[in-house]
Amino acid sequence: MLGRFRHGYVAPAAILVAVLLYAPFVWTAYLSLTRYDGLEPPAWVGFANFGKLLDDPALLTSTRNTLIWVAGTMVLPVGLGLLVAVLSYDIKGGAWYRVPFMLPYALSGAGLAMVWSPILSHGGIANLLLGVDTAFLQEAPHNTLAMLLVWTWQQLGVNTLLFVVGLQSIPKEPIEAARLDGASGWRLFRHVIWPLMRPLTAVVVGLALVASLKTFDIVWVLTQGGPGRNSETLAVTMYKETFVASDYGYGSAVAVLLTVVTGLASYLYLRRQVAS
Amino acid sequence: MLRSRMATLGVAALVLTACGGGNAAAPQKKTELTLYNDKGAWTKFFDEMGALSKPSIGLGMKPTGYTDSAQYQAFIKASFRTNVKPDLFTWQTGGMLEEIVKQKQVADTTAVWQEAIKAGDLSQDLAPYYTIGGKQYCVPMNVAYWGMFYNKKIFDKYGLQPPQTWDDLIKTADTLKQNGVKAFYHTSVLFSFVWFEQLMAGTDPDLYDRLSTGKAKYTDPGVVQVMERWKQLIDAGYFINPGDKTDPGDVLKTGKAAMVSFGTWFNTSMTQRDLKPGTDYDFFVIPNVNASLPKTSMIFESGPLCSLAKAADPDASMKYLKWWTTAEAQEKWATSRGDVSANPKVTIKDEALGTVTKDAGSGKYRLVNRYFEATPPPILTAALDGFSKFVTEPGAYKEVLETIQKAADEYWSTHQ
Repeated sequence: MLGRFRHGYVAPAAILVAVLLYAPFVWTAYLSLTRYDGLEPPAWVGFANFGKLLDDPALLTSTRNTLIWVAGTMVLPVGLGLLVAVLSYDIKGGAWYRVPFMLPYALSGAGLAMVWSPILSHGGIANLLLGVDTAFLQEAPHNTLAMLLVWTWQQLGVNTLLFVVGLQSIPKEPIEAARLDGASGWRLFRHVIWPLMRPLTAVVVGLALVASLKTFDIVWVLTQGGPGRNSETLAVTMYKETFVASDYGYGSAVAVLLTVVTGLASYLYLRRQVAS
Repeated sequence: MLRSRMATLGVAALVLTACGGGNAAAPQKKTELTLYNDKGAWTKFFDEMGALSKPSIGLGMKPTGYTDSAQYQAFIKASFRTNVKPDLFTWQTGGMLEEIVKQKQVADTTAVWQEAIKAGDLSQDLAPYYTIGGKQYCVPMNVAYWGMFYNKKIFDKYGLQPPQTWDDLIKTADTLKQNGVKAFYHTSVLFSFVWFEQLMAGTDPDLYDRLSTGKAKYTDPGVVQVMERWKQLIDAGYFINPGDKTDPGDVLKTGKAAMVSFGTWFNTSMTQRDLKPGTDYDFFVIPNVNASLPKTSMIFESGPLCSLAKAADPDASMKYLKWWTTAEAQEKWATSRGDVSANPKVTIKDEALGTVTKDAGSGKYRLVNRYFEATPPPILTAALDGFSKFVTEPGAYKEVLETIQKAADEYWSTHQ
């Protein structure tokens, strides 16, 4: 009975996914092979847009910035999240220490940027408090690093929470056994806790990897990828080429590139994690 | 099995129909029109116009304001292919209007223009900005003359007067600098073109016009010299930091910079801050850099209010556009925002802006189309990025000009 109707049960979800996810992707992939301004019908240009990608200095900058975002995300929101989780896990009232880190997570990317814009703008609050005249959001790659700190401020809490969940899920016995054998501190963490947390770490790092590769809103609201495109990420380049320059074909080529890079990075990372 | 497949196909057909862009919408009779615009901050003023039009012509109007112009433009372009069509929408003159007119998306307003010119509600001088292929499209949503808004209290404090010549302006900037006040506002976001267009128009307006039509290059000596002059002004320390995100209205109000160059619409920001013209702030026309030019160049812009050729109720949309040009509508539109009007009959309350409007109408100035409208969109995008880079890194001016020219070469190779 169930077998007879199983396609019917799956159909609504399958149709939604097909219409809202796969169809736009196929359409975007098609547009990447055309010249299209959003008005005239798309004109087939083959792989010309991908050829242009190789010759575009702005793409080189956005690729560099995206890599900074990926590396920075691994070190700061993920690395610090782990540190905060480990330091606050086994102490009395540890949950209260984690609360301040969680609060910024409630803000949207755009809201986050609105909060930090007056702080980081030249002559803003950070300049006044630190007594310096640094243009945090003007010069590259400092502007990307400044935005990474803002990103860390928001993401630290949720990463901490996930790592705490990971710590709580570790069975007590191996840790107690290791302690009886004399392991403690760094050695206990490195050789016992860390390996046991691996499944959860794979999820946190995987999510952070994808999120950092498609960084958009925070950059768009704080710098709009500028000045002079020097803080653009691949996602910002995709948006600007498509909707600001109305070059839908080239913007779609950037979108395809970003999708391939994100898919490939996720696949390679997860395959390695699963295999190990 | 067959039944479940049919059900699946049925659901798919429903979804696709809902998402699809059919063009066969039946004409409707509307009593309230939607007005999509990229001026989200002006929603209150659009609402007031809707409240006025309802008793006046029996058509209400509900605005939907966007604050991100890229998102707005993408929405309007997408609406051409769907059934979610605005009855009225704001746009830009120049290349952007031409682009959508060529696609036959915009309603012809030639009759409205002819009638309004005859009635004295629109000036013939404005028509070229709205004329494509001998026909008019859209009506002026607003007009604006560009000049310098200045903090009058700061000027009074240091005994400064509105400058009559470029040298006067530089002396004013020097005096302010000696007193620890930044003379000028500029920014690396969106309005990064303002000083380029002003210096170009005040130095060689013919070259500015040739640049916007692809007959001159950004790497030509005249353009390079303008960039060098702009660099000198930045190096002299006259400008606030371009990365300062303070709203320009607050910049002027607080005296962070003594002068802010914008269109007359900036007066709305002043009135929203309860600043009094003639007491707290004032406005002057920026003198030419090149004193030998026969007329003072003044940047001019006009933003269109349009209707789609395939509007849900074309008669209602056209009726509204016609009403928009009348003195009754424009009196309200200009007065509520403290701005100037496209209708010559409207009395401008602000004395300085009233004088500028009158002088501009009498041919005292050489009106120069604002860079934003005068420059084709792909070149504009490269230029805004380039000027944004320049204001933070003035030494890079040659590289910036070369980058813009690269975009210009690409564009003009297919659009001459």
